[in-house]
Amino acid sequence: MNLKLKSHLPSEDKVLEKSPVPIEIEFCNVTKMYGAVAAVKDISLSVSRGEFLTILGPSGSGKTTALMLLAGFTAPSRGDILIAGKSVSDVPSYRRDQGIVFQSYALFPHLTVRRNLEFPLEMRGIKAAERAARVNRMLARVHLDEFGNRLPSQLSGGQQQRVALARALISDPPVLLLDEPLGALDRNLREQMQVEIKDLHKEFGKTTICVTHDQEEALTLSDRIVVMRAGQIDQIDTPEALYDRPKTRFIANFLGEANILENAAFKIESDVVPSSEMIAMLRPERISVNARSAARREDADQRQSVSGTVEDMIYAGPLRKYRVRVGNAVLIAREHVASGQEVFRSGDEVRLDWLRSDIRFVAA
Amino acid sequence: MKTMQKMSSMPILLTMPALGVLLAVFGIPLILLFLTSLNAPALSLVNYVVFFEQRSYVAILLLTLEISAVATAICLLIGYPTAYLIVVSGRARPVLMVLVFLTWLTSALVRTYAWTVVLGDNGLINSLLLNVGLIDSPLPLIYNRFAVYVGMVHIMLPMMILPIISVMMSIDSSLMAAARSMGAKPFTAFLRVYFPLSIPGIRSGCILVFVVCLGFYITPQALGGLGDTMLSALINSQLTTSLDLAPTAAASFILLAITVVVLSAVGVNLAGAHSQAGSPALKLRQDRLRVLTRAIRYLNEFVLPRRARRWTAKLYQTQHHTSLWKIVGAIFIAIVMFYLLLPGVIVIIISFNSGEFLEFPPREVSLRWYYSFFSDPSWIAAAWNSFQFGLIVSGLSTIIGTMAAFGLSRCSSGLRSSLTMVILTPITIPVIVVGVAVYLGLAKLGLIGTSTGIILGHTIGAIGYVVVIVMATLSGFDRTLEQAAMSMRAGPTQTFMRVTLPLIRSGIIGGALFAFLASFDEVIVTSFVGGYAIPTLPLKMLENLKQQVDPTIAAVGSLLTLLPIVWLVVLYFTLWRNQGTLGKPAMNPT
Repeated sequence: MNLKLKSHLPSEDKVLEKSPVPIEIEFCNVTKMYGAVAAVKDISLSVSRGEFLTILGPSGSGKTTALMLLAGFTAPSRGDILIAGKSVSDVPSYRRDQGIVFQSYALFPHLTVRRNLEFPLEMRGIKAAERAARVNRMLARVHLDEFGNRLPSQLSGGQQQRVALARALISDPPVLLLDEPLGALDRNLREQMQVEIKDLHKEFGKTTICVTHDQEEALTLSDRIVVMRAGQIDQIDTPEALYDRPKTRFIANFLGEANILENAAFKIESDVVPSSEMIAMLRPERISVNARSAARREDADQRQSVSGTVEDMIYAGPLRKYRVRVGNAVLIAREHVASGQEVFRSGDEVRLDWLRSDIRFVAA
Repeated sequence: MKTMQKMSSMPILLTMPALGVLLAVFGIPLILLFLTSLNAPALSLVNYVVFFEQRSYVAILLLTLEISAVATAICLLIGYPTAYLIVVSGRARPVLMVLVFLTWLTSALVRTYAWTVVLGDNGLINSLLLNVGLIDSPLPLIYNRFAVYVGMVHIMLPMMILPIISVMMSIDSSLMAAARSMGAKPFTAFLRVYFPLSIPGIRSGCILVFVVCLGFYITPQALGGLGDTMLSALINSQLTTSLDLAPTAAASFILLAITVVVLSAVGVNLAGAHSQAGSPALKLRQDRLRVLTRAIRYLNEFVLPRRARRWTAKLYQTQHHTSLWKIVGAIFIAIVMFYLLLPGVIVIIISFNSGEFLEFPPREVSLRWYYSFFSDPSWIAAAWNSFQFGLIVSGLSTIIGTMAAFGLSRCSSGLRSSLTMVILTPITIPVIVVGVAVYLGLAKLGLIGTSTGIILGHTIGAIGYVVVIVMATLSGFDRTLEQAAMSMRAGPTQTFMRVTLPLIRSGIIGGALFAFLASFDEVIVTSFVGGYAIPTLPLKMLENLKQQVDPTIAAVGSLLTLLPIVWLVVLYFTLWRNQGTLGKPAMNPT
């Protein structure tokens, strides 16, 4: 198990630099101060060409500042940002070649959809005939053919979102920045748009940096996720690695639910010997809930089991969530609803068990 | 880094032209005026002592406060219910608001003239009553305190109603529903929920009306008797008759000091829990700012489809007035509207008289006085002067003011409020004090009696109006639109021309029109600075108002009454052109 705690070692960059995919974006020890407060503290990060990288963090973690730095709306106090190997710290945003989708979409309210899409092309001095052709192609691509002459205010939220994406992509910039792209949409639409964004990313292959506080969005969309906390990078990993092997308690709690087995009444059995500062963590879906009398499993020798009392059960469609009191602690267990499954009620005595290898150790 | 530093220092640079003009024409003179009042370099209080030793001066001072306070109180008593009735009037609301707005924009001089026509011994009311035979000799309706209040309240009432309406419209109507759901009777709900929430509007209205009353002397002078002299009239006559500026300076600063003291007292008391932070002086300016902000919003209201803005109100509609109250309300608002609109209508009708004496209604309709206006070179010259000054002042103040507003909207908030406070000073202190200071300043620059002087004198006030209106527009402007443009390779200039300017254009046009009107109507500063050497339309009207010989003034008044209507139509169409496409029935294709 990977128990390395130092959040981001330079050696990891080296490994990436040698890889065949070239580096598109690089943060080198970037710090941004607002007065005496560091919004972003000494972050280093490399993004490969064509990668979809999400910066995830709670509000105030510095993720938006990181994006603003990349967009060129604010300059780093220390350190340097490289795009395609060149320092852009002194380059104003309007000389950087990137498409941005803003949280509020920032569609020009006085221009029609068509004129909005033409804007970045006009600024690049592209002739009217080609502009029209490209706008038509892009409108068809985002299924808005009939809406070219509408004003943004005459579109629904999802349509506005698609116009914003189209406008960011139409000038074919190498880098695409998304600022909370789905924050303004309701749940169903959000899921649709996640698929749409994924498709666009596959099709256009832009190096994409997305900033969000929505863990689900981050997990579904990204090749890699950067988790930020208090201006610093906590961990950079693939979504799967991040969820399965969080390095810190913060990440364990921030991504999904976690049972933090701190001062539990029972001894944690594990094959790994943790250092003293580490805390055991167990994902709720790794715990199985059984009746006390149930027969022991075949792989019982690889499992740890404890007895407890069900405090309550929450039914959530495909899932049942149990809160089970074990001594002084309350463990959360999640089971997929399946036919023939035994259902426990508040007060039932149960046995919880899990694979010893499912125990993870995180930094406090 | 360099560009960043440049960008962050830019905003303040944009306010420099405004501050420069202000400082030269008004700021430094105000300081000089203060020093003069202290007999600098001797620095003695003798001028102030002399003022307070003069029993008649103290009486005038007290009278000024009394008239201002009473006029403010009457405005509040009439204005608050009027505002409430307008807000709850539903369908009629936009129309009623336009009428109040129009009254506000009509030249105060014309309205004062109209009251002399209505209240005079041979005026409308007296001749009507004499003809009917109810009285044998004219009632003393004019040249007394009663006439002063009728005229002052008429001029100030819109300034009371508009801020109160704006605050009332922002009160969430579900709050009243909530109060009712918790068992509050309608009146209790009003008293405990609605009224406390409308207090900020009352405060803005009262402050506005009171300060304008303190500095405005034309109406009391024209409608009042000898015993109704205001301090501002005293300052005016001192300035025009005496060569020694020191007593005038002292009187001006006494007026200014009293203004500040009374305002801070009112500001603090009425504000209550709402405002612990911020100086009252600052609040005054913000209140003033809010009034104009809302003014712009009213205009925007006409543009929006009515149903779109009313549906939330409908959703929470709890007021089921009994029909009796409805009738009382309707009668009340009808009377107020009659009072507000009467003078303008009278002036227009009476201007069609054919005889030497203006009668109401005219015996035969004639364009005689219009002909007399257009064929009299002195009237035409005055109108042409006013028009030219208006255009130049409007152009100048729109450029300087828009730059300043742009800079201010990009400053840190602390800097913004103090700089805004400075730039708005000429329109927030009694106008007579501004007049005296500008007179002194332009005298030092040798510009008294010149067109340049008049233009500068008008511009400092007009800049304030432009700044207020453009800032209000900018406050609703989404800065990420600029970032979006920049991210698409639009440089700063292109971003401004292609994105920012089209979106704030209506505010700039509104500011320009307002500046034009402010200059076109200005009479007090003009009379000091122009020294009657350069006739403007308001000056010539003022002259005629005093002498009452030339009925041409009726035609002029009628034309000036129509001016704001033209102005509103222009504004409506510029806004409409801007947002008209939004007004098309929006299909919702989801």
